[in-house]
Amino acid sequence: MLRKFFALIILFSAISAHPVIFKNGKVFWLSQNPSFNDIRFGVSKSSNWLIGGRFLEDRKSNETFALINNNYLAKRWNNRNSQANLYLLSSVGLNTKNSKSMGSIGIHGDWEDRRFMVMQMLEYYSHSSALVSNTRLAYSPYTVDYSKTSTWLIAHYRIEYSDNKYSYMLFPVVRLFKKNYLVEIGSNGGNTFLSFMTHF
Amino acid sequence: MKNLLIFILFLSLGFSQSKVSIQDKEIEINENEAVVEVLGMVCSMCAFGIGEGFAKTDFIDKSKFTDGVAVDIDAQYVQLGLLESTNINPEKIVQVIEDAGYDVNLLFILQNEKLTKFSTDKLGILQPIAFNLTSNFDN
Repeated sequence: MLRKFFALIILFSAISAHPVIFKNGKVFWLSQNPSFNDIRFGVSKSSNWLIGGRFLEDRKSNETFALINNNYLAKRWNNRNSQANLYLLSSVGLNTKNSKSMGSIGIHGDWEDRRFMVMQMLEYYSHSSALVSNTRLAYSPYTVDYSKTSTWLIAHYRIEYSDNKYSYMLFPVVRLFKKNYLVEIGSNGGNTFLSFMTHF
Repeated sequence: MKNLLIFILFLSLGFSQSKVSIQDKEIEINENEAVVEVLGMVCSMCAFGIGEGFAKTDFIDKSKFTDGVAVDIDAQYVQLGLLESTNINPEKIVQVIEDAGYDVNLLFILQNEKLTKFSTDKLGILQPIAFNLTSNFDN
């Protein structure tokens, strides 16, 4: 149960986040799914380093966790009409009831232009010794200017390896964003989730 | 007739305007404005960070465009209104773009009726590459 819970945290915490934003920019992010409520706040201290806090609530067990996120943009390739990134991710925190610690490290790579996006992320979690891979392929059926709403259709594929076993999940996601607001809605029949993010 | 000539003379002295080209798009640039080609600006969230950065500076004329900044994501440029009293240091513009996480490829500044074109060299240093008196530049 606990392992599934953390796997869900891993999954849903990673897929929506822009790991680092503009210097002195702030991120506020909310997510809800059948397993947990997740609230994040972060500040980009520079254009390649974001630090923030996160509060998680397990809706089934009523457990809560307080975490610190540390995201580092190791390399960005800015090109005409495209962008690619390589991020290093880490987090550390405590169960607020029993103070048991947890930590994770990860690497995230992506490439996007105005119509297509590819993302790959690998993370390792100390509490469950789990290795998780998240892959995204996304397509925007139309492009819009700065003031209009952009739509992305995303195929998300997740693999988790722990206890010598693999588990797989594929689900579609719709992303809508306009200026500094982003909403994602996903479902694969058995699981649904919503997330909201804003930069300011 | 005399009044018409005075009016035309007034217009010619009071306005400075030119056109520049970025990614094959022709852009009209007026006195006290800058046009910046931003590499990597592929989404509105990217552009939002750039707008926020310029909003905190002391050289943007917020009466122009939207709070002093116009964004074209398709052609990957931002157009800036510059305060008339400020002789802009182009490095300040580049710093805002880099703090947002992006790179400048080309920068045009039209001030004091002089249009200057800058380009970033292979070392990432901004270099003036052409000057002109309000005639057109191509990319």
